Parts: sequence; C-alpha cells; structure tokens
Amino acid sequence: MSKPSKTALLSPARTLIIAGSTFTQLMRMKIFYFLLIFVLGALVLNFFDLPHTAGPESTGSDKLFSLKDPLVGAMHYFAIIIAVVATALVIPKDQEDRTLYTILAKPVPRLDYLLGKLLGILALILAGLLAMDLLLHLVLHNHTQELLAQRIADATKMGWPQDAIDSERADILRQGPSWALQGAILTIFLKAGIIAAAALLISTFSSSTIFTIICTTLVYFIGQFMADGRDYYEAAMQSKGGSELTSYAARLLSVIFPDFRPFEIVNAAVAGKPFPLDVLFKLLGLTSLYMGIYTVLSWFVFSDKEI
Amino acid sequence: MSEVNAVEVRDLVKDFSTSFRRKPLRAVDHVSFTIAPGEVYGLIGPNGSGKSTTMKALLGLVSPTSGTCSIFGHDSSKVDSRQQVGFLPENPYFYKHLSGEETIRFYGKLCGMRGKALADRTNELLELVDLTDARHRRLGGYSKGMLQRIGLAQAIVQDPQLVILDEPTAGVDPIGSRQIRDLILALKERGITVFLCSHLLEQVQEVCDHVGIIHKGRLIKSGRLDDLISIEDQTEIVLQNADPALLEEIKQLVAKRAETTLLRTGKPRTTLEGLFLRETRHADSSRDE
Repeated sequence: MSKPSKTALLSPARTLIIAGSTFTQLMRMKIFYFLLIFVLGALVLNFFDLPHTAGPESTGSDKLFSLKDPLVGAMHYFAIIIAVVATALVIPKDQEDRTLYTILAKPVPRLDYLLGKLLGILALILAGLLAMDLLLHLVLHNHTQELLAQRIADATKMGWPQDAIDSERADILRQGPSWALQGAILTIFLKAGIIAAAALLISTFSSSTIFTIICTTLVYFIGQFMADGRDYYEAAMQSKGGSELTSYAARLLSVIFPDFRPFEIVNAAVAGKPFPLDVLFKLLGLTSLYMGIYTVLSWFVFSDKEI
Repeated sequence: MSEVNAVEVRDLVKDFSTSFRRKPLRAVDHVSFTIAPGEVYGLIGPNGSGKSTTMKALLGLVSPTSGTCSIFGHDSSKVDSRQQVGFLPENPYFYKHLSGEETIRFYGKLCGMRGKALADRTNELLELVDLTDARHRRLGGYSKGMLQRIGLAQAIVQDPQLVILDEPTAGVDPIGSRQIRDLILALKERGITVFLCSHLLEQVQEVCDHVGIIHKGRLIKSGRLDDLISIEDQTEIVLQNADPALLEEIKQLVAKRAETTLLRTGKPRTTLEGLFLRETRHADSSRDE
C-alpha cells in the first residue's frame, strides 16, 4: 500500500463543496422561505401608497424615511434570525442524520467542514439580503421619483425660490437609494456574520439546538448593550475607583462578546446621513476579528469533539 | 517485506465520561485485532457491546483513551489515512434534498474527484447498486434498502481499499439484504478489505472470513470463521438420491465401530430466508410470464 498523499489542512475546493451543499440544504428549510416571503411581502406592500406608510404629519423626505426604516429593520431581523437558527441547526442535524460520519470518514479535515458550513450560511444570508435589497431599491426609487415630481411641482406652484427648491430636491434624494443605504445593508450582513460565527462556536460544544439558539440570542443582546455596559462600568470605576483586575476582566469580556455599537451606523445611514469609507473598513476589520476568533475557537473545540 | 495489515487495532480502550462524580463508562476494553488485506472481517456482538465505538475509533471519529488504530500502517486519527477508507454508518439518512446521483457526486467531490472521471464513476456505481432508474429521485423518497445501497455506493466512490460497514443490513427486507450481501461479496472478489459490524449472525457467517466476538467491550474470541464454528469431532455427509437400504447399510456400518456414534440422519433444511427469496422470485417470474 503506497503512502497516502498529504491532505491539505484547508482546501478551498472542498470547503466550497460543503458550502454549496449547506446553502441548498438551508434553502429548502421552510423557515427561510417563511421569513423571506414575510419580508418581501412587507417590501411589496410599499409599492402601494397605503395610509400606514407615513403619518399625516410626514412630508417630503420624512415619508421616505418612514418607508425605509421598518424595511431595513425587517431585513436586519431576517439576517439575524437566519444566522442564529440556521447555524444552530446545521451541525446537530448532520450528526443526528449520521451525515457527519460519512463526511468526516472521507479525507475531509474538520476545519474544511466547519468553514463550509459557515460559508453556506453566509451565502444564504447574502442571497436573502440581496433579493430584499433589490426590491427595497425598486420601491424606494419608485417612491422617490413620485415624491420628487410632486414636491417640485407643488413648490413651483407656490413660487418657492430656486435655492429652496434645490434644497428640497437634495433632501428627498438623500432619503432615496444611496451608497450609504448599501453600506447599511452590508453592515447588517457583517453583523449577521459575527452572530453566525458565534452560533457555530456554541453549536460545537452545545448539547442541543435550543441551547445554541438561546445562548446565541444572549450573545446578540450582550453585543447590543456591551458598549453601554462598558461606559457605565468605566464611569462607576472613575468615581469609586477599581482594581486593575476588574478592569482587565471588563476588557476581556469585550473581546469574548462582540461589541455591536459601531454597527449602529445603520440607523444613521437609513436616516440619510453619509456612510464614510473609513467606518466601513473599521467594521470589516471588526467583523474579521470576531469571526476569526470564533472560527478558530470552533475549530479547536470541534477538532477534539467525539462524534 | 511483510505485507502491511489493512487494519491494526492494538490494546484499544475507550472510556466515555458520564455524569458528575460517576465512574466513566468503558465502552471498549483493551481490544486488539488485525485484518489482512483482502479479508472480510466481521465484528459481532450484542447492542451496546462496543462494536460501533471500535469502528468510530478506527475512523478517527472518537479519540481512544489508550491504544492505537492504524489503517494500512497509517495512524487512523490522521485525515490522510481516510483516503483509502469508505464508511457506511448504521441507518444513514444522507441529505434528503439531494438525488441519488447528486449524493454520489457530492461524496466523490469531497474525495477530490472531478469531471469525466467522477461522471463515469457515478454511472458505474449507480449500476452496481442497481439504482440507475432512481438516479434523479431525491433521497427523501428512497426506501430503506435503497438508502443502504446508495450509502454503500458513496462509501466506495473513491475506490477505497478498505470498506467499513456498520450494520449494513439493519432494517432492510430480505431482498435488499441479499443485494447488500452480494455487493459485499463483489467487493471481496475485487480484493477490497471489508470490516463489518453486525448482530445478524447468519449474515456475518455468509460473507466473513474472520470474525471477532465482542461482549461488554472485550474481544472474547477472534479467528478464522471456519476454525471457530467447525465441531472438530463430528463429520457431515450429505447424500443425494440415497434409498432407505443404503441408509440402513451406513447405519449398520457405523454401529460396528464402538468409538463412532451416528448422531442423526434426516433431510437438510433450507433457511426461512432462503425459502422467502425463492418464493418471491418465483412469484415475480410467474407474474412476468
């Protein structure tokens, strides 16, 4: 028997095969279709000028904000729910069906398997977000053009000066489709990526899917309030004084749990404010850091896991 | 140079931790055995005797508490050793969203197969396991026997030299079970080493050269099947078309020998499974006519 060739620790081709299979597997889960149809339905409803879309006090660009804000919120929750639930399901399901045995009994390193699963989930979230993003932009473009025509016509009829008309036009366009809004949707994807990586880590040592879902949801909420908690703690320490040990513990906690405060730029972007490139790079860096830490930890745990 | 064993398990111990403060559960207790290349080895034992844990240790799915496992001389905990191994777990389900063809292609790709080689191998395997007609059907619609056969096909997709089968006929009807056994015999004819675990003793007896009996984690007996099951002080003669006079002559001849005793005479019996297979085939052929 000849010596077997060395199996690479990480094979992008193998990882992509597992990712593709995971993507298809998750696509067929009813939860994905349910959430997607729900969110797409919410988006489609905005093609019609329904009375709930904006209050009677809303005028001009306010109308567009009232339209965007809940829809981006729905996209955000779609991405987070898929990241938590789908990731919590994939490994236990493979184990329960013994598919995991047949995959790992082939020359497949466990890192390939983990990364494949994570990439499959990220691809699913990205596909969902892209579909919703496309529809959101169609809706927004439609409403922006209608509103612009109506407001300019009204302003001209009322004899507004040209600079006031230009200002109104700029206000409306700022609330329309923009690169800042694209940045906000990318930020939602990055946040979901962190949550998916955290869920993957928890699922490598968790004994049940429900435990993974609960723990990951807790991680999500801790991440939402991490910065506020740290600010409160630091303020308290400054006034009362604290030991270095507790200070290190607080810093360690902020490495273990993600800090989602920088991701709140989504709200500003939806409100029509610009999305600076340096912030985007910072978010990409943060996401890489958290996903890297969680994936390496997942690998450590999973490589010794008894299956 | 001496031939390397296909499988070598040396002094394997596997303890599973149990709840807090309780003694660990010993699933496998100092088990040692070897399987030569081309051999069909059956590990038999009751449920919970440690068969599957031994297999999993051999596949690197669980880490031994102590002892070693090797496949063709290579440490089985290393991923490289699995290039020459195919595995069919007990009651596999696979991905229900894939068709039979897609399933074989998926596992083939995991083994680094691509293009025409993979397409040809997929066709060959579908024919071998008699699933060509069901190749585009999703696995969700497969019967238990079909799932086992597609499982066997994925196990041998990369043409491994060692095939490990955990209860390959569990829950399969006699016809499906026969097909799987025929496939195992076909592997044996091609010189592929087969290691199978089962508690269906008759089936093991039909296909295995060597067997090991495992009970409560200990290998209590191991050796060539013929040696283990033959009764050394008895001889069997089977006659065809023997009339009663000849039988009487034989009886009298035996009676003349003081040290020899005639234990029984009678008609050999087929097995219930043999009867079932013969009758169902007969019914099928009558209907076709």
